[in-house]
Amino acid sequence: MVGHCDWMGLAVRLARYALDQGETPVACVFVYEPMGEVIAYGTNDTNGSLTGIAHAEFMAINHLQSAVGTGAEMLRLARSITVYVTVEPCIMCASALRQLGIGKVVFGCANERFGGNGTVLHCNKDASAGLNGTYRSVPGIMRREAIMLLRYFYVRSNERSPKPRNKSERHLDKTSFPLLNWGRYLEESEFVEEFGEEQTNHYANHTDVAEKINWSLVDEGCDDIINELERRCSRFVEHRNKRVKQ
Amino acid sequence: MVKKALNPLKIDFKKCIVEDCLLQIRNEKNLEEPELINVWTIQINAKDSKLLIDFIRSKILDEDGIFLNHIKRIRKVEGPKKMLEVVLCSTEFAQDEAACMSLLTNCGFNYQNLSCENLIPKQGAPTKELAIEWSELYWPLNWCGNPNDQILNEYTFDIDFIREKLAQITSISQEEAKKGNKVPVVTAFVNPCDAEHPIVSTDQRSEVNDLVLDHSIMIGIRKVAEDTKLKESQLTDSTIGTDSTYLCLNFDVYTTHEPCSMCSMALIHSRVKRCIFIRPMSKTGTLRADSGDGYCMHCNNSLNSKFEVFQWIGNDFAPIEIESNLCA
Repeated sequence: MVGHCDWMGLAVRLARYALDQGETPVACVFVYEPMGEVIAYGTNDTNGSLTGIAHAEFMAINHLQSAVGTGAEMLRLARSITVYVTVEPCIMCASALRQLGIGKVVFGCANERFGGNGTVLHCNKDASAGLNGTYRSVPGIMRREAIMLLRYFYVRSNERSPKPRNKSERHLDKTSFPLLNWGRYLEESEFVEEFGEEQTNHYANHTDVAEKINWSLVDEGCDDIINELERRCSRFVEHRNKRVKQ
Repeated sequence: MVKKALNPLKIDFKKCIVEDCLLQIRNEKNLEEPELINVWTIQINAKDSKLLIDFIRSKILDEDGIFLNHIKRIRKVEGPKKMLEVVLCSTEFAQDEAACMSLLTNCGFNYQNLSCENLIPKQGAPTKELAIEWSELYWPLNWCGNPNDQILNEYTFDIDFIREKLAQITSISQEEAKKGNKVPVVTAFVNPCDAEHPIVSTDQRSEVNDLVLDHSIMIGIRKVAEDTKLKESQLTDSTIGTDSTYLCLNFDVYTTHEPCSMCSMALIHSRVKRCIFIRPMSKTGTLRADSGDGYCMHCNNSLNSKFEVFQWIGNDFAPIEIESNLCA
């Protein structure tokens, strides 16, 4: 069975690719559950687009829209989509995914400044974000990999800065990680549904379900990731075309 | 800075209303509770207080991004020795003990008990009574009037220009409704460097091919970026960099309906200075304290990113009402 970590692995590799392109290392893949396949992906494009809103999730939404054509069709598919994103969606993206009616979000690390799935606000559950139902957001999948990529980014930007900010950003810390307060994002019963009864000590102790870091995902350049994702996404388009013909 | 009495604008400081038509939107719920921040404190001998004041003036006041003018820097320490406890700087300015110690190298006086345990209100209290209460609870405060009075007094408004923009978006909203747009929300983005040429956007979600997320604010932000790209491509080498636009930095945004969480956050990401809206959205709005889930996105303490928000409360403009469950 393909699990959360397999899908998130793709997102982490894509984030690494974004880092190598000079963008913030945040990336996502949209998985269409009935097919078990990636149908869209995105990385931050705030530099290229000259807007502060071209976040990975929006780039994936645009990507999917150009594949399926209409906004109405997007709404029809959304409930069956799980979004795997390396960093918790910001409030804007969390609200957008809600208004679109996305089925579920799985993320790596918390977005301490702007997180919209529990860190700052709960746009996935609160009433004000509209008509299209709520979604569950599961944190902590490949969290350490996501954090390491962000640390690489900050150390790099700090090296280029004329006035380096502080010590914690000058040195690359590869060993210590903040605790994860699961309760901000999931009820304990939801945690058990996602991870199993045997993992509940992590819920109580605020610790990671997986402590070992997959360094090859974080450290190896992944020039082939775009080709791989394109290949996967094209299967969905072919599948749809076949269905339309039948 | 104009004195309150000399401000040519009519401002009701109590109700926070400018010229009887612009209501300042704030989070009324958290006004009576201070937002607390940790600060670095040290204890020194009372005789060293002059050295200390010189040190703070020369090394800290201009550098520390967190303004602490509303607190008394120094308080007495109970005890037989004449000791003073002093607020050195914010924990944002000196992030750890080592940073503090290096700041204090060669300060010329002895100190002890360096600590970041003390909590102080980040801003002054809104009333004298609260200032006294907070002084006892946290740290001695100066009372220099309600800080919001000063904030309101320093804002600038060109009321005629504001009226003109609101009239423009209202009339476009009415035209859109006539054309069959079921969500006739309209927004104008005004660049402070080019106020004569606002970028106007309309909600596109009722178009069959368009997305439920194509709200007027999102479309407007993208139009501003396209406009910036176009202008940059037309610039000759000699003019590059003279007047370039960064995101929507310092823009004023005029919109017919109170924005949803997606759009309010997009305004924060775009670094706008001010948003003026006309119709509140009681279920989906995210600026008024009594709208939706009471997010007050523009002054939410945990977001640490702020922009000014006003609601036009004059009767002169009536953009088309939209269904209350919709996100504007």
